[in-house]
Amino acid sequence: MENNFYLIGVGGQGVISLGQILADYALEEGERVKFFKEVGMAQRGGPAHSEVRMGEVFGSRIPPLSADLVVVMELAEGLKTLELVKPGGMVILNKKKIYPLDLMVHPEKYPKEEEIAYLFEEAGARLFWIDAGEIANEVGLPLAENIVLLGVITYLASLDKEIILAVLKKNIPYEVEKNMAAFDRGYKIAEENIAEKEKGEA
Amino acid sequence: MRKLLTGNEAVAEGIIEAGVEVVSGYPGTPSTEVILTLLPLVKELGIHIEWSVNEKVAAEIAAGAAWAGKRALTTMKMSGVNVAADSLASIAYSGCTGGLVIFVADDPGAHAGMPEQDSRYYAKSLVIPMLDLASQQECLDYVKLALEISEKIGGPVFLRSTTEVSHAASNIETGKKLKLEKKEAHFTRDIAKYTKAGSTWCMAQHQEALNRSVLALKVADNYVTESGIKVNETHFEPDSPCGVIYAGAVEGNFREALKRYQLKISWLKIGMVHPLPEERIKEFLAKVDRVLILEELDPIIEKEVLRLASPGDGEKKVKILGKLGHLLPLTGNYSFKQVKNALEVLLDTKLEAEPDPQLLQRAKELEVKRPTSFCVGCPHRGTYFALNQAIKNLKYKKGEIIITGDIGCTILGMNQPFESCWTEVAMGASIGLAQGFKWAGIEKPVVATIGDSTFFHAGIPPLINAVYQQVPLTVIILDNGWTAMTGFEENPGTIPLKEVNRTRVDIAEVCRGCGVEQVNTVDPYRPEEAIKAIMESLEYPKVSVIVSRRECALQAKRRRVKLPQRQVDIEKCTGCRICLNTLACPAMVFHPKEENNKPYMEITADCFGCGLCAFTCPTGAIEVIKDGE
Repeated sequence: MENNFYLIGVGGQGVISLGQILADYALEEGERVKFFKEVGMAQRGGPAHSEVRMGEVFGSRIPPLSADLVVVMELAEGLKTLELVKPGGMVILNKKKIYPLDLMVHPEKYPKEEEIAYLFEEAGARLFWIDAGEIANEVGLPLAENIVLLGVITYLASLDKEIILAVLKKNIPYEVEKNMAAFDRGYKIAEENIAEKEKGEA
Repeated sequence: MRKLLTGNEAVAEGIIEAGVEVVSGYPGTPSTEVILTLLPLVKELGIHIEWSVNEKVAAEIAAGAAWAGKRALTTMKMSGVNVAADSLASIAYSGCTGGLVIFVADDPGAHAGMPEQDSRYYAKSLVIPMLDLASQQECLDYVKLALEISEKIGGPVFLRSTTEVSHAASNIETGKKLKLEKKEAHFTRDIAKYTKAGSTWCMAQHQEALNRSVLALKVADNYVTESGIKVNETHFEPDSPCGVIYAGAVEGNFREALKRYQLKISWLKIGMVHPLPEERIKEFLAKVDRVLILEELDPIIEKEVLRLASPGDGEKKVKILGKLGHLLPLTGNYSFKQVKNALEVLLDTKLEAEPDPQLLQRAKELEVKRPTSFCVGCPHRGTYFALNQAIKNLKYKKGEIIITGDIGCTILGMNQPFESCWTEVAMGASIGLAQGFKWAGIEKPVVATIGDSTFFHAGIPPLINAVYQQVPLTVIILDNGWTAMTGFEENPGTIPLKEVNRTRVDIAEVCRGCGVEQVNTVDPYRPEEAIKAIMESLEYPKVSVIVSRRECALQAKRRRVKLPQRQVDIEKCTGCRICLNTLACPAMVFHPKEENNKPYMEITADCFGCGLCAFTCPTGAIEVIKDGE
């Protein structure tokens, strides 16, 4: 068995620390882990991504059509992951849009949500939409956008919640209450959303 | 113990376990984290760890320690080997008594910019055995192995990594900390070994270095590390005519493919890439008909395999697949897809379908480009703004003044909106290159921009040259006090932290000491004074230096420096975007005109308070709302 997580966004969103939590989780679970992080120009508003592979894996990079779960923290950055999504795999689309300089002046040039969704659906992905930034604001900790998503991931990928929370506390020892709240909100939204979908299908 | 470590962290762990006593290096992606991991432990370990002024000095320090009998290791990126090579060539001839390891991280794929040069050539030309790292576990194991080989053969050993191995993390087994006999530092005078006077000694030393390489292979070829890794390993599948010879980071993707497609093929893994295990390769070639060579960058192994595979009379001919037949590229690091495609050719069979190319094409078209600029509050923003302004004030057109750039954060001045720098060559090269433009006959002013650490590294000799040759030149040293691009390492200009004993070297004094008569220190957060000084410098008839000094904003933020906070007065803001277009600060957000709203700028909470935007605003709409502390 293997489980491949691909996380992508823009520098400052916590893409790497989110990956670190998942990688540490896998280590706790006793799985073989590969964790790759691309930061490069992230500090300067550039793209950032990380890949976490668990189970019988050898390469540190996820092969094409093999990502079980793709987490798109910045919407347009998600376009870079189409090659990787496993048909039938899950894609979490965070509604956050971060405009580079020229798009600030011409926001209409930013790719449309519908088109991004269409491409992922054509690639055979199941989509899960969320506005994690808004939830993080509601919790009172805008930086916890990635932790809201951690809650979603934990539910969708059926990770052991106790272990994830223990790793979370260890990796982010400050603002524990708010981070826990952010995690819970994400987890519950995923739970409710999936329950509703199943009801619809039934 | 099981730990999740990146390759570089594993090298650091190896250094601790191997009892290395002197560690030196110069920062350079992807090698930097080895020393970054060790530095916080310096007191606990009781060893010497340092960021040296450049790779050559770092290598010399490690060699000195090893000549005194201690275990020593030096770290650098591939570009650094060029700098250190002069000394390393001689050091390799002399050999060593204590273990001496040169850790070099190559960057196939140029993730950090710079030439993709293949350091394996240096192993050959400098006559230094080289181990090539294929996994994070090897990073730990091979540090110990490299030191063991070094001491057994009495010469230095290269340990080569690549970005893919150095920057990825994996669960690895840490080993035992070696219990080494405590040795006093001791160096025996032996001028036939440690000097290069006379051809007899040099040639004898050369021969000894060659002999040591042969010995190194004997130690490594059948070596099994503490965690069970075979350095060179041959695996035969009796029923397959196909084989793969590989080395380095490709191992991950190759093994992934073996498992994924349940391939039964023979393979030969090469952990010591110089010298190559020729006998092992010949044995392998005897049992296969088709061989794929997987190695990133240059076809070094492939060429040797071709030579070894040349059939003599009556011998069979083995088909060799790799870069020379254009199956695999000479550039970049191999993706899983490239390895898979090459295996498909080797096996003459399709292994897996690929993603829909039309879908990928459409996604590519929609992608949002994110040009990188300076960080929020970066002092370099102020320097390039002032430089552009000074050029404009002197009535030169944009694009008329050649500005040579240099390595590090300062090169970002090439990007929008500044578009200042024209060239980027190598550490310190901005100052030498600029003199060439002048001697070629460029009459308008020529400017060189360089960062503080880059200046210390290799910028001083070209500056002295400019003084001596009386070249009219403007050198702007963007002194932010840190080696910032690679992750905020200290350099001789860094204001020492309380807990360390260092003597700070003042760049302005260095320049004066080099004979520069006009040296001006300015604050890039005060554009008026910076513009004035640069204008004067551009018109000065000899070489002049501007030290544009202000601490890196990210480091200042960490030290909790608080500058005045500013806000946009929406009433006064006309939405002209002059601030945005001239500075491109990531803390600025433009709100376009909506139905009942006029367009306006917003300064976000990320603002550090450099105040440059207020200077550019034609309507005075950016005002201080809270004073600094």
